[in-house]
Amino acid sequence: MGKEGITNVLLSGVGGQGILTASRLLALAALHRGLDVKMSEVHGMSQRGGNVDTHVRIGKAVPSPMIPKGGADFLVSFEKLEALRYLDYLKPDGFAFVNRLEISPLTIALKQPNYVDDVDRILEEKAPHLVWVDGTEMARELGDVRTVNVILLGALATRLPFLEEADWEAAVKERFAKPKVRQAVLAGFRKGAEACLSR
Amino acid sequence: MRELMLGNEAVARGAYEGGVAFGSGYPGTPSTEILEYLAPYENVVVQWAPNEKVGLEVAMGASLAGVRALVTMKHVGLNVAADPFFSISYMGVNGGLVIVSADDPAMHSSQNEQDNRWLAKAAKVVMVEPSDAEEARWMTREAFALSERFDTPVLFRMTTRVCHQTSVVNLEEPLEAPSRGYKKNIPKYVLLPGHGRLRRHEVEKRLAAAAAFGNDDDRWNPVFEGSADVGIITSGVSFSYVRETVPEASVLKLGLTNPLPLERIKRFAETVKKVIVVEELDPFLEEQVRAAGIDATGQSLRPYFGELNLPLLEEALLGEARNKVTVSLADVEIPRRPPTLCPGCGHRPVFKVLRDMRIHVMGDIGCYTLGALKPLASMESCLCMGGSVGMAEGLARFGGPDLEGRVVGVIGDSTFFHSGITGLIDMVVHGSKATVLILDNGTTAMTGAQPHPGSGVDIRGGEVPRLEPADVCRGVGVKRVVVVDPYDMGDLEQVLAEELAAAEVSVIIVRAPCVLNERVTFAEPVELDLELCNKCGLCIRVGCMAIREKDGYPEILADLCNGCGVCVQVCGEGALTIPEKVGA
Repeated sequence: MGKEGITNVLLSGVGGQGILTASRLLALAALHRGLDVKMSEVHGMSQRGGNVDTHVRIGKAVPSPMIPKGGADFLVSFEKLEALRYLDYLKPDGFAFVNRLEISPLTIALKQPNYVDDVDRILEEKAPHLVWVDGTEMARELGDVRTVNVILLGALATRLPFLEEADWEAAVKERFAKPKVRQAVLAGFRKGAEACLSR
Repeated sequence: MRELMLGNEAVARGAYEGGVAFGSGYPGTPSTEILEYLAPYENVVVQWAPNEKVGLEVAMGASLAGVRALVTMKHVGLNVAADPFFSISYMGVNGGLVIVSADDPAMHSSQNEQDNRWLAKAAKVVMVEPSDAEEARWMTREAFALSERFDTPVLFRMTTRVCHQTSVVNLEEPLEAPSRGYKKNIPKYVLLPGHGRLRRHEVEKRLAAAAAFGNDDDRWNPVFEGSADVGIITSGVSFSYVRETVPEASVLKLGLTNPLPLERIKRFAETVKKVIVVEELDPFLEEQVRAAGIDATGQSLRPYFGELNLPLLEEALLGEARNKVTVSLADVEIPRRPPTLCPGCGHRPVFKVLRDMRIHVMGDIGCYTLGALKPLASMESCLCMGGSVGMAEGLARFGGPDLEGRVVGVIGDSTFFHSGITGLIDMVVHGSKATVLILDNGTTAMTGAQPHPGSGVDIRGGEVPRLEPADVCRGVGVKRVVVVDPYDMGDLEQVLAEELAAAEVSVIIVRAPCVLNERVTFAEPVELDLELCNKCGLCIRVGCMAIREKDGYPEILADLCNGCGVCVQVCGEGALTIPEKVGA
């Protein structure tokens, strides 16, 4: 946790990628650990293919629901462009977990600025610490593309030592009722975690 | 019990705990989820109203009957409900009446960022402002009792960051709130001028009593004792920024912000060397604090518009932001990712045809407002709920020969039921020749598919009578009512040409399901034959996320395409083909 005892996690991506669910699982795990948590999310216009971000703040006592620019310990991005867009939220020693996926904004079709060329190189250059996650590919291997969000969450979890396996399991149990879904979610989570630990 | 809740969910929980019997409202970001979270509770009647005014009126009737009632809306919704709102202040209540106004500083999903705290002051009613989900819960729970105690509707003022934050709440058992029973009281509830003048005194007495309560109450208006150097007066989400920025400062946190507890504020000001008011949007607190003779600063610390945030407050109070931005993005151009109509959306062919016909479109509030964005760019105004109809009438009447037969109003079905009908009556009665398009997808799509009077279901999914927009139009005197399928763009264009040429008002009901809500797949993804493509770009100009340009040629993104066939119809070379329909 940071100096003031608060860990700041910013999650970003494109509407429909399961970002809210991932954020909620993270917040639930923190609650299970007995910590305070505040989370801020965006509804409304952003659902229509726009970019989405959620702020999750965990600590003993968390006043504000919003992470300031330059204040994120972790950035978890479900898409490369949306990693780049929020990169200035990271602290000087912050970590970015980036899913290897490119989703073109509509603007590209209109011959306006193209998808950022060399997005990989720019991310590697600018992020203080960068962890690539082959989330989309891993999700396909698991046979359910919707698990990308928990794969990324598993990757993040390797850097959140104050949350234990039992906290994550409790969060999944709270959020999902069906045993089959719980199983799939935990499988994704563990796959994401293992991929990050094994490098 | 500790639980994580969205601020809006916590309002629903608080209403349940407070013994609410009735919930009403109209969907609008950031307020929508409150009623959706209230609906599952037993023993509460919950219903979406056609608009905020009706919602408030039904709730007022429930209050007269003696039960506790909640009404929810976004900030601009309170403008629609302002007529009953201002006069319910004079009537007072029987059962507690709480009105949620969810304001949207920075206009994340709104057309303006009006500060509705002024409306509480103007209407002379008690106002409550929570700063997080737990306060949203307990303040809603207690607000009904405040309403009954001071015989006032309570304006429960929230903002996006309180509505859409998820944080920890502590659940309590619900209160017993039996009906107080209906009591006929003509001088109180019939606002004839003579009665209104008498009630006017009661309004002033209420304000004095509520201010006295606020002056002495530690729970609603707590003081956080700290350094005597600086005392901060704040409310709502700004409180959380204050606590994080200057945890050592003395803080007077106001949960009751109308009428202001000025005596308490004065007492607080005397304990500190310097008083600073921290708030978002207008200087609502600051102006009143200064007018009371208290030397306070605030405006210079506050952005003129938009949201307050930690870095801005840190710069103002500490001289600089705590967190330095060390990653610079100044040297990269990051393409924006604006919201857009879904692939296969039935609104797209409508705006494509309107664009090609060079029609002047007066638009309205909903997903279809995205028709104003490139490449469709075929909506020329969007003002307020229902505004398209009246504006089309006015523009057509005074637009001169250039605009003759070329003006339409475009309105969604939910918006039509909300406040388009009266505009249509005006067109009929005054002989307008303009044309109104009702985009009918059977739902309130933008806010997440809430049912409306044309949906045939209620908030819990139960079957209710379904109003047919065509019947409503004929019922108010429109003789020319046509129903079209927008995916047949040739037909749509022909119908538009006919109706625009007609010498009387006409309504075209454009019927297509919401592809997002109903998860519609029309066919297998469209196929592209590159050998037939002449790179004209027409298909790209329909503005669908499922088509992008690659090396001068279009490329179909099969993951996104649901086979609606709009791009197939615009292709003059037969390069795009649609596989067999699998059923829409």
